[in-house]
Amino acid sequence: MSDVLVEVKNLKKYFGGKKSLFNRHPDTVKAVDNVSFEIYKGETLGIVGESGCGKSTTGKMIMNLLEPTEGSVVFQGKDLTELTGQKGRAARQKFQMIFQDPYASLNPRMTVRQLLTEPFKIHGIEKKNERAKVNKLLELVGLNAYHADRYPHEFSGGQRQRIVIARALALNPDLIVADEPVSALDVSIQSQILNLMKKLQRELGLTYLFIAHDLSVVEHISDRVGVMYLGNMVELTDKKSLYREPLHPYTQALLSAVPVADPTVKKQRVILKGDLPSPSDPPTGCVFHTRCPFAMTQCKQNKPVLQDIRGDQHFVACHLYNGSAESEAKLKKQIL
Amino acid sequence: MAEKVLDVVDLETHFISDGKVVKAVDGVSFHLYKGETLGIVGESGSGKSVTSLSVMQLLRNTPGKIVGGTIQFGTLDIAHASDKQMRKIRGNQISMIFQEPMTSLNPVYKIGRQLTEGIILHKNVSKKEATQRAQQMLEKVGIPRAKQILNEYPHQLSGGMRQRVMIAMAMACDPEILIADEPTTALDVTIQAQILELMNELRETSQTSILMITHDLGVVAEMCDRVVVMYAGQIVEEAPIEALFAQPKHPYTQGLLASIPKLGEEVEELTSISGTVPTPETMPSGCRFEPRCPYAMARCKEQNPVLKADEDGRVYRCWLQEEGSHE
Repeated sequence: MSDVLVEVKNLKKYFGGKKSLFNRHPDTVKAVDNVSFEIYKGETLGIVGESGCGKSTTGKMIMNLLEPTEGSVVFQGKDLTELTGQKGRAARQKFQMIFQDPYASLNPRMTVRQLLTEPFKIHGIEKKNERAKVNKLLELVGLNAYHADRYPHEFSGGQRQRIVIARALALNPDLIVADEPVSALDVSIQSQILNLMKKLQRELGLTYLFIAHDLSVVEHISDRVGVMYLGNMVELTDKKSLYREPLHPYTQALLSAVPVADPTVKKQRVILKGDLPSPSDPPTGCVFHTRCPFAMTQCKQNKPVLQDIRGDQHFVACHLYNGSAESEAKLKKQIL
Repeated sequence: MAEKVLDVVDLETHFISDGKVVKAVDGVSFHLYKGETLGIVGESGSGKSVTSLSVMQLLRNTPGKIVGGTIQFGTLDIAHASDKQMRKIRGNQISMIFQEPMTSLNPVYKIGRQLTEGIILHKNVSKKEATQRAQQMLEKVGIPRAKQILNEYPHQLSGGMRQRVMIAMAMACDPEILIADEPTTALDVTIQAQILELMNELRETSQTSILMITHDLGVVAEMCDRVVVMYAGQIVEEAPIEALFAQPKHPYTQGLLASIPKLGEEVEELTSISGTVPTPETMPSGCRFEPRCPYAMARCKEQNPVLKADEDGRVYRCWLQEEGSHE
């Protein structure tokens, strides 16, 4: 699993900031602000965070659906952000996306067969054996060949998400970016789709970038997990370390906030004060310092860098781990 | 906890569209004690929201209609109450918080005006007193700068703040019952934790009974004393919270609990309930869960079991009750 499939380097996306007749002092919204990570072949990298943290924007930039303000997405030695037109489209064949809302992702006027053959048309792949291909795809996602001539409205939410997945698989992609693929579904259906995604990964050797806000779903499906807050990656490590030993105060608060479906467990909860600051006017220094229970003076001034603090691939962006006397004292208090 | 503040018996709410009758709520009975939090859990289409709307009589301008049963609130039967009687109760003795705080607040009126409207109407006080009360309520729900917020519009507040305003509005007249329909579903987890904590605090100080409608079993486990599980318009199980999570009795509840991934627990494959919730057209004639049930028997296809207690006092709707244990 050590082969890097995609390398994301210093990715930034700023929205707005253009002067216009009615807006002389425009705000720049820093949706994603200097995010770097790698996606390994065959793994599932989960990205969690609350609304507005930039997780979907990151996903879209990797898919080349949004042009980054800065930074690069390297796949097979090529920077995808620089490829345009025909080349860009060809490169995108290997990346497919699944969106949150299966109702909005399928054209209601196309039959399942048309939907599933659309990718071949777009990429100019010859029409041979189309029927067999469609049947194969439907079978892969747990539907039947007779479903091919039906329209999306004849399916339930879970079945529609299966069709969306089948369509994403049509071109044998290397990477599937799944943006909240199960959050619109009921729990009993959600688990069906999660199981299907795991099965497909095993059988087809897929790599997933799994974007979601639900921490337990992300834990279930991912190998490694990255936590985003206000456009920044604050922690990134394998899922065991992250869930057992979260280092960043935000990750700690986030994990403790999840309601547990067990009435006998009484959780010690870190309740964060206040709301997410506006991304058009993010705090100076560490973006989390306004809500952080351990904030120090330097947090207001310097932005911490995401680094492997102990040399065990547990990346965290926090001044608490810089070894200074003040942070050592805070850490001790935190453990007590 | 002996006093019942709400007693719903055999509630039937039907929707009529294109001449077809959809039985959204089909013979639902439950009661709510003073000061308790009762959870109604179910997936989309289970009828949980329609149940709550029926209790508030908010179906007047929809194709929905309460066609049977009673909803006893004090001496009044809400199912047969007049509009005038309901206006006195709504927002005063029974109030409601909805899922989407943005669509629940009027975007063109200031927070202050929206908050005081109900107070002036129900408490018969002057505008000045109502404003004071509104400010107190905002402070109580943890809104900073309460005085300024009264003069702001909903769009100036964040999602969590708006939901706090909704709670302040709902609690302003000291209601006996608070109906919360997915109150935290639209919020982020850290904000959800804030709101749930706030609701628990308010319940302790005011002794308000809460009817919590949600699909999130985690929220139920943290908030509720008792739970009613709904499936396809009917109650399939009712139990105290500990019993439900420790030993779910109905196969649907078992499947539901098994299908949620739990933090810190590693499993290769999640248990899932096969199939989907039946639509009105495909509603089974026997037990409604039979097509998806792993224990389905011949009898389940023909007759729908009744909701009743077994020897241990556990209440659920399943033929297995008579067959003995199925664990």
